[in-house]
Amino acid sequence: MDCCEFREKYSDFADGLLEDEAELRARRHLSLCTSCRHFDAAFRTGIGALRNLPSVEVSGSFGAGLRRRIGHELMVRGLAVDPLWGAIAALLVMVSVGFVTWDLAEPRGARHTVPAVASTVLRPAVRLPRAPRIRFDTVQIFGGGFHPFDPVLLVADTSPSLDADPPRFDVPAIWGGR
Amino acid sequence: MTLVANPSFRATRPGQGSVLAELDDSRVVQAFLDGQSRAFDELVARYQARLLNFIYRTIGDRERAEDLVQEVFIRIYRHLHRFDQTKKFSTWAYTIASNLAKNELRNRSRNPLVLFQAIRKNWEADHRPLQFEDSSSRPDDMFRKRHLRALVEQSVERLPEHHRVVFVLRELEGKTYEEIAEITGCNLGTVKSRLNRARNSFASIIAPHLD
Repeated sequence: MDCCEFREKYSDFADGLLEDEAELRARRHLSLCTSCRHFDAAFRTGIGALRNLPSVEVSGSFGAGLRRRIGHELMVRGLAVDPLWGAIAALLVMVSVGFVTWDLAEPRGARHTVPAVASTVLRPAVRLPRAPRIRFDTVQIFGGGFHPFDPVLLVADTSPSLDADPPRFDVPAIWGGR
Repeated sequence: MTLVANPSFRATRPGQGSVLAELDDSRVVQAFLDGQSRAFDELVARYQARLLNFIYRTIGDRERAEDLVQEVFIRIYRHLHRFDQTKKFSTWAYTIASNLAKNELRNRSRNPLVLFQAIRKNWEADHRPLQFEDSSSRPDDMFRKRHLRALVEQSVERLPEHHRVVFVLRELEGKTYEEIAEITGCNLGTVKSRLNRARNSFASIIAPHLD
């Protein structure tokens, strides 16, 4: 056996897996070759030192960290598998999308008025003292265009011109914006 | 699932804990699937140190190794109901750990910053004074031991990734060739070939430093 063959079969030799004849040839080579003898000694010394390295233990916070992660895992799994929560979440999403779509489709500053027939019906039979009508409108604080999530300021408008209008039951578009 | 407050993940109620401790892995797994939550704690207690040592010796970063061990247990928790109980639990756990360790090494080789941080952390660890050294040993013996310890650790870290995993599984974890083949998803011939190369490399790195 030469050095090349010895190195090729070294793993089986170290594990005692060579057949008898091959084992004998390997040992004979070791007794004659200083380099391979040194190689074998280095391997065994190194493996001995490696196996004597101190074991590492988990830190004190390992258990708490793992519990936290498993708790999160349970929470996520609970939301994912509970059909009731899933249905509620889906409904909320649909309502939100519908609302945004409706709002974007509306012209800016729209005022919704009740039809004249309905206003006649709704007009009180007894003339009551006119209470000041307050119209709420939105003032955009910043942003180029109105967006439902833009911050807005609600401004109360009690201008007398409102009182001069014929009685109407106005439903101000508080989300109309300018 | 309720987890015990004991950070070492040992069952606190003596009766139940001692019963679980006497069962083999497959029965502990079955106990967990039957609803005994403390059975998972038993699995964690059995494997946390072993997996930590395996991953640590493979990637060389103790803190990161602990994160990965947690990740192993999360994946076990998530998929235990699908685990094939005809197979060994130990092999499955090591398979997950091996894949996570290999991914970590691959990510490091792609991200120089992560690699630099790992090298720096290990440099600082190497240059920290040793604690609990044997004061009865001669100083030159202590120096040699310390030097050899550092040398073997560095030698393992210099092994290529796929050689290193096989090497650690065999030399430190004591796994058989068949188990290593199953854990790494390679055939037996590949395992033997990689182990042989790893051993050759390891010895070649160490040999010049020894008398």
